[in-house]
Amino acid sequence: MKKIFMLFVSAIFLISFTNPNANVILDKVDKNMSSKNRIFESEMIIHGRRTSRTITSISYSAGNKQSFIEYLSPAREQGTKMLKLENQLWIYSPSTDRIIQISGHMLRQSVMGSDLSYEDMMDDRKLNDIYTANVTGNETIDGRNTYVLELIAKVDNAAYHHQKIWVDTERFVPLKQEMFARSGQLLKRTTLSDVKQVQGRWFPMSMVYKDVLKDGNGTEFRITSAKFDQKIPDYIFTKAALKQ
Amino acid sequence: MTQKTKIMLALKLAFKNLMGAGLRTWLNVSVLSFAFVIIIFYNGMIDGWNRQSRRDTQEWETGKGQFWHPEYDRYDAYTIKDAHAPMSEEIQAEVKKKNLAPVLITQATAFPQGRMQEVIIKGVDPEQTVLKLPTVTLVPSGDIDYAIIGKRMAESCKLNVGDRLLIRWRDKNGTFDAREIQIASIFKCDVPTVDKGQIYLSLDVLQKMMGMSNEVTMLVAGNGFINKDLKNWDFKDSAFLLADLDKIIQAKKAGGSIMEGLLLIIALIAIFDTQVLSIFRRQKEIGTYIALGMTRPQVVGIFTVEGGAHSILATLLGAVYGIPLFLLLGKVGISMKAAQMTDMAIAETIYPFYSLRLIIITIFLVVISATIVSYLPARKISKMKPTDALKGKLQ
Amino acid sequence: MIKFLIKGILRDKSRSLLPVIVVATGVFLTVFMSGFLKGIFNDIAELNAKFNTGHVKIMTRAYAENKDQVPNDLALMDVKKLLSQLKIDYPDMEWVKRIHTGGLIDVPDSFGETRGQGQTIVTAIDMLSPGTHEVERMNIKKSIAKGSLPVKQGEALISDEFAERFGVSLGDKVTLFGSTMNGSMMFNIFVVSGTLRFGNTILDRGAIFMDIRDAQLALDMDDAASEILGYFKVGVYDDIKAQQLQASFNTKYSLKDDEFSPQMFRLVEQEGLGDYLKLANSAGTIMVFIFVIAMSIVLWNTGLLGGLRRYSEFGVRLALGEEKKHIYKTTIYEAMLIGIIGSVIGTGMGLGAAYYMQTYGLDVSSITSNIGMMLPSVYRAEVTPSLFYLGFFPGVIATVLGSALAGFAIYKRKTSQLFHELEV
Repeated sequence: MKKIFMLFVSAIFLISFTNPNANVILDKVDKNMSSKNRIFESEMIIHGRRTSRTITSISYSAGNKQSFIEYLSPAREQGTKMLKLENQLWIYSPSTDRIIQISGHMLRQSVMGSDLSYEDMMDDRKLNDIYTANVTGNETIDGRNTYVLELIAKVDNAAYHHQKIWVDTERFVPLKQEMFARSGQLLKRTTLSDVKQVQGRWFPMSMVYKDVLKDGNGTEFRITSAKFDQKIPDYIFTKAALKQ
Repeated sequence: MTQKTKIMLALKLAFKNLMGAGLRTWLNVSVLSFAFVIIIFYNGMIDGWNRQSRRDTQEWETGKGQFWHPEYDRYDAYTIKDAHAPMSEEIQAEVKKKNLAPVLITQATAFPQGRMQEVIIKGVDPEQTVLKLPTVTLVPSGDIDYAIIGKRMAESCKLNVGDRLLIRWRDKNGTFDAREIQIASIFKCDVPTVDKGQIYLSLDVLQKMMGMSNEVTMLVAGNGFINKDLKNWDFKDSAFLLADLDKIIQAKKAGGSIMEGLLLIIALIAIFDTQVLSIFRRQKEIGTYIALGMTRPQVVGIFTVEGGAHSILATLLGAVYGIPLFLLLGKVGISMKAAQMTDMAIAETIYPFYSLRLIIITIFLVVISATIVSYLPARKISKMKPTDALKGKLQ
Repeated sequence: MIKFLIKGILRDKSRSLLPVIVVATGVFLTVFMSGFLKGIFNDIAELNAKFNTGHVKIMTRAYAENKDQVPNDLALMDVKKLLSQLKIDYPDMEWVKRIHTGGLIDVPDSFGETRGQGQTIVTAIDMLSPGTHEVERMNIKKSIAKGSLPVKQGEALISDEFAERFGVSLGDKVTLFGSTMNGSMMFNIFVVSGTLRFGNTILDRGAIFMDIRDAQLALDMDDAASEILGYFKVGVYDDIKAQQLQASFNTKYSLKDDEFSPQMFRLVEQEGLGDYLKLANSAGTIMVFIFVIAMSIVLWNTGLLGGLRRYSEFGVRLALGEEKKHIYKTTIYEAMLIGIIGSVIGTGMGLGAAYYMQTYGLDVSSITSNIGMMLPSVYRAEVTPSLFYLGFFPGVIATVLGSALAGFAIYKRKTSQLFHELEV
């Protein structure tokens, strides 16, 4: 009887530990990572073959359809603004006082020499909307316990066919993310760290993107200030704001 | 004397005199024949190059013309993403009859030895016969995806047959995918535009990779394809597809014509000079002709014909060594290995092509110009006093 | 005796002037045309040298390895210092810097928003500094379809076809969008001062030519350049000199452990041009050979004619008791003198003309309708060492040979006969 009880308890424990509902996990992740709107101040460190550059910017985004970025430094970049509405992207350059529309075929180019394309930057749909998740195990990353989730695209236009994502079991923040091709080839790896609590949510303030097929050190992304669910005036997301 | 016999007489006299002059005549004739042979040779070589390059480009790339998806633009890689459409039943039937070769084009990134290189991937039907590409080797076996590449591509990526290459692409929805392909064969082709930066896969494989079942970017027309109107596809004829080659050929011909001009001028100066000399030396003869009742224009005619006859001899002499030479070169060709790695479409060996038109025009050019330069000094005769001439008095 | 002969040649115009003129002309033609023929055969290499390879090219090793991709992030740095050092080290070369990159030309509407956009190849050369040869080298003036060369910073030339397609008129402002050497976004406004025809489809569809300084500022390459090209000041490529140059440069500047150190490449090492040049040279040599033979015949005729004209003089001289042998000898010496004088004059003139044509070239674009920057339309002569002696073969040998043959008749004829000819 004791034996049976032990078995029962451990079975329950096993089930509850190894198979928490993956969608629930993703939901929790999305709750941490997504918001109605957000304002980030951040620095992006791009490692080139010769030099590394740090670019700072402030970005405003609402949902996943609207975003506005203004670059603050270095001097060369200062005042350059980008506006994304739906599938369109405009860039404003203060030196020429011109707004240039980036058409579809250019969106796959790298942004400022980083490992991210314009498209990568624009695609911030909720993971739950794109992928079906499954928990496949547990691992420890930097002393934190994580669920390992396998995400398989459920929509046609996902950038990656499947992903592997390591989610902190307590904070529900991804600590590592690997993107795969349909064939199973690993394409990109993102490591997230410096998880802090901001307005009651856990958020990774530092990320490193790495295109694993390409030589180099990847692109670092550090958030120096994050604000969620603010009042962002509507005019920010208009072309008129670009010239201001 | 009838006009005909007069001309015959003039010619007969001319040749007798020319033969009499011996070595000098032959040297003049050889120089002129050189000019003659070289003009034919050079033009023949350019024509041969042109024909071969056209033929090669057609056989390897353009066929009898291409049908492009309206969005497609071969010089704008950005157009490729949206330039694809399914083949209609009519087109599929033509493909089956091997009258059209379907090609699907996409952009991808290849990673040879960790380096990153943008490439164009072309999906071709392994069974097509319109283009010379060795597509048979693309027939899949097992789950290996075979690819063929050209010699230039193989060199720039340091790839050999049997090597594997990682490529990454985005399918029609923008989803990334990557896999290894294996080089099934490396073709050698004289047309850089089918080779540089390009990888060929089986059409089926690429369509699956892209999620574009039955879709293609363009259709290459084969010999058997006559109907030049396919709805929703833009026909591009050879004149359009070969425009760059035409420009190079034209420029080469311009350069050639300067050289030919120089050569011909030199040969003509030699004849002119000889003509001056012979008129000077043969004043007695001239006086005699006039004394015998020939009009001065007739004498001028004799000398003009004599000078002009150089060109006939030159043609004959040119034929004597030129024909065997041309036949030989036409057979063994001229090695152009040197120019192979340049950006021009040029065959490793050029087989000169001598058209009848070229030969006739050249003969005409040589004879007319030789006759004109012979006439110029002969005009002097009409100013001679017959008595002085007869005496051989120097003038 | 030579003094006497020279006097004769100088005083008797019929004996001297005409033959010397003929010999000089013949030699002139031989020298000049031989120089030209090489130039014609080398046209493709020549074009490449101007647009692409230079006579020598300096790039960073990393750039050279990926040069098909125009990797501007791997461009040469500290260019000013390098250039001034090059000018001191190798004064017989002209050094120029160039920048290549790609981007988009964006044509604005009246609100300053995108109206049209096209891909473009960007080439930046020194267009504006006084005494620059780059404009001429790239044949830009002749390739202008509309408008004129940029005269100040901020002006640029674009493809004519592109301008037509997007309705860009002269004086319009277009924006060049691309990325700087460091990968930042680059925006720059240019005023279209003119449009260009290239004769090459890709360039005709979208290319922009601008001054190097503009490009340096726009691309954040203040003291950087994609490449430095070196041209021999004499105008033609000399592989032996290029080899020495390369060896000396690479020893001094190219560092094994620094992939961004500069490295020099010769023309013949690039784009398969080495073999092409060999082919062109051998074709040129054959042509020159034929040319020399042809000219020899002409001059031989002249020698012959000169000899014949003087039969009566020989008659008199024989009658006066001069020996046949002596007459023959003087004739030959005279011919030799005429040949040498004529050849020297002819060679001098020929070299002068060849130098001129090496510098300015013969423009055939007007007669061939080949108007385009990327097509050979200007043929240049090439002054090679062989030109210095080439003319002497037809000039001296053929003239002497002609006179020798003509003079040979002296022995055949009887004194009385020659004397008789004087009477008539």
